Amino acid sequence: MDELRNYARELLEKEEVAAVIGYQQVTEKRTKPIVITDPAETSRLVFNEYCLNNLAVYLTKARIRSLMRTKDKTMKLAIVAKPCDVHSIVALIQENQIHRNDVHIISFNCHGVVKDFGCDFNGDNLAAKCIKCETHKPLYFDKIFGEEKQTPKAGDASLEKINELEKLNSKERFEFFKSEFDKCIKCYACRAVCPLCYCQRCITDKAIPRWIESSSHQRGNFSWNIVRAFHLSGRCTGCGECDRACPMDIPLSLINRRMAMEVKDLFSFVSGRSLETPTLVGNFDKKDSDEIFM
Amino acid sequence: MSKQKWEPKIVAFVCNWCTYAGADLAGTSRLKYPANTKIIRVMCSGGIDPVFILKAFERGADGVLVSGCHPNDCHYNAGNFHARRRWDLFHKLLDFVGIEKDRLQFSWISASEGKKFADVITKVTKDIIALGPFKTYQDMNAEFTTVFPEFAEAGNKEIAYEEEMTNG
Amino acid sequence: MSFKMEEKIISKDDLLKLCGDVIAKGHTLLAPGIAEYEQVKDVSQIRLDSSALPTKTSYKSYVFPKAEPILYYKRSKSDVQLIDVDVNGKKIVVLGAKPCDTNSINILKHLFNWDYEDEFFNLRQKHFVIIGLMCSSFDEYCFCTSVGSSPVSEEGSDLFLIPINEDKFALRIITEKGKEFIEPYSEFLKDGDEAKSNAVLESIKKPEVAFDSKQVHEWLGDNFENPKWEGIGNVCLSCAQCAFVCPVCHCFDLVDEDYSYSEGRRMKNWDGCQFGHFTLHASGHNPRDIQSKRYRQRVNHKFRYYVDKFGEILCTGCGRCSRGCPVSIDIKEIVSNCKD
Repeated sequence: MDELRNYARELLEKEEVAAVIGYQQVTEKRTKPIVITDPAETSRLVFNEYCLNNLAVYLTKARIRSLMRTKDKTMKLAIVAKPCDVHSIVALIQENQIHRNDVHIISFNCHGVVKDFGCDFNGDNLAAKCIKCETHKPLYFDKIFGEEKQTPKAGDASLEKINELEKLNSKERFEFFKSEFDKCIKCYACRAVCPLCYCQRCITDKAIPRWIESSSHQRGNFSWNIVRAFHLSGRCTGCGECDRACPMDIPLSLINRRMAMEVKDLFSFVSGRSLETPTLVGNFDKKDSDEIFM
Repeated sequence: MSKQKWEPKIVAFVCNWCTYAGADLAGTSRLKYPANTKIIRVMCSGGIDPVFILKAFERGADGVLVSGCHPNDCHYNAGNFHARRRWDLFHKLLDFVGIEKDRLQFSWISASEGKKFADVITKVTKDIIALGPFKTYQDMNAEFTTVFPEFAEAGNKEIAYEEEMTNG
Repeated sequence: MSFKMEEKIISKDDLLKLCGDVIAKGHTLLAPGIAEYEQVKDVSQIRLDSSALPTKTSYKSYVFPKAEPILYYKRSKSDVQLIDVDVNGKKIVVLGAKPCDTNSINILKHLFNWDYEDEFFNLRQKHFVIIGLMCSSFDEYCFCTSVGSSPVSEEGSDLFLIPINEDKFALRIITEKGKEFIEPYSEFLKDGDEAKSNAVLESIKKPEVAFDSKQVHEWLGDNFENPKWEGIGNVCLSCAQCAFVCPVCHCFDLVDEDYSYSEGRRMKNWDGCQFGHFTLHASGHNPRDIQSKRYRQRVNHKFRYYVDKFGEILCTGCGRCSRGCPVSIDIKEIVSNCKD
């Protein structure tokens, strides 16, 4: 922990970065994001199994970006990121939302996080994204801390759920999602926590014409959740923040994960893994499948 | 419910340069095809947002057809290539959330394929008739149909709309 | 409010029988489930656990639904025809409501009857019977004692339950409405001993008082431009989770939803002051353009403006907003820091 704090303090003191986006401890089993501009505050930085938030979401926020520009120079933003959060940062760089040179990635060898604050760290309480995780070491970083440790083993419940849903017929699946989406209260927490939902003005906020009804009745909820999932297909890096943020416990990442599987099958593409490959939906290949077209 | 025989409502989003011209050709060639499809012309298949399709379902469409130029024929060079990738994903997504695959269909029809246009429309109409009314989605409009019972009557809505439009 | 409280005793089995009867009569029975107040279909679902933490959401949506039509319209060439909405005036019984929820309707009542009487709200709340249940546990986010309530507060309940032992509850009849509701079931009731149940109430551990709401009120008035707000604004992500799970947040948005060219309806939907476009004017100007201003509004509205206007704090201290916040912003901590 001291390594991280000292490193962050040095970065701030040498004015290499304008701010450090990191985690601070709230209670024993809960952390929360903190944006540090004062070197003295770096003593609050922590990294542990309770660092659930995907801090990449802050990189596109105007108020955080404005910290980068001072009178005489432009500085970087330093961010404490888990290897999976680095995927989100990569996706943001690919989509030209931030430049690689503008972000200083402080990452860790990661062996998983808990599914929710307040849980003990063990196989039963492992976050869903960690169960299937293949990147325990970050793919891109400017500084890395922590030692490699074994991730606890756990069963993949969300994959089981997907397989179970696929066995149902269309009508049953529709009923399942209708009842799940019915719970939606349109607080848009899923949108707020998603690092890739960076649009200045979301399509659902546009009133003329209103494509997505703002009412949270069945019809409005259905179109919002479909459009959200579609806008993230081929882009979602699977950080699972939407699931965690949803106050109504709608299994949002189920659809995201299923679409990611589809994308991998169709285009052999996984979002946020490489800075060299172009984005999926922003590009095309003349050899793409023509299967669904008559 | 209405005593009339149920007729499917199909919305076709077609591109201006190929499929719409193809539909024109089908018309000038006096080819016959079912009259259930309402055509909405857009400039390019790449300009059709998936929310258009959801909106069509919300407003009572039983099926949707999206059609554009053949690959490599796009008036804007790459519009249909971009669209192809997106539609592939969107089709898979709708399938996963439980909307039957045949409710949303895609085709490439060029300006010279009047025959293909008539064939595609016939096939889509047949498929939608086989699937029946899109009750699952339309049930979400239940409240409207109790307040405005005439909505439940097939066809009335369009008539009211057209009258409004022509009478100013 | 001159109703004299009556003290009775009811066994758990009889209470469940009463609930069964409520369901059989076709009324809606709500009880706290795992995540939210659930509609009880079968009495075996009822847990009546005084040590459970507050559910993720309150029963606010049953008086003030997340989306409700307020009128239907039909346009023809020459005029617009309006069709009234038939408000469902079904009786709703809430069993085992937390003391931090029971008062919520009383707090909301002021707003919905202020310059315009909201008949939708009034009709729904008239049909509400709230059976409160003493609360015997709290976590680090609970702060009911700081906003003038307590885990044993009867405020807002029509009937109030106090567990005496494993299978007996003391039942206090608080209001006229409660008396009316319990009258048909008087066979289940025995006379109770007020001193005994008071002893139970006194033995309950209560959360420590975290702040003095009067001082907070004063501080907020003097510190509109305090730099403290900026620190919060940096972290908050502008979702409305906090407002939507809050038992007393009440902002709403009116939107017209057209179904066809000539028919449609007007909806009243929940809205949240943390959304960036909440205060966006048609001109493009946004008086609360940055997050720190929006969070300041949230705290001010709850602990200052509402107090000035209606004499009550717009907060029940349930801690739901903090428990669910994706970035762990704790309103108790923030309000406690509202001092120099």
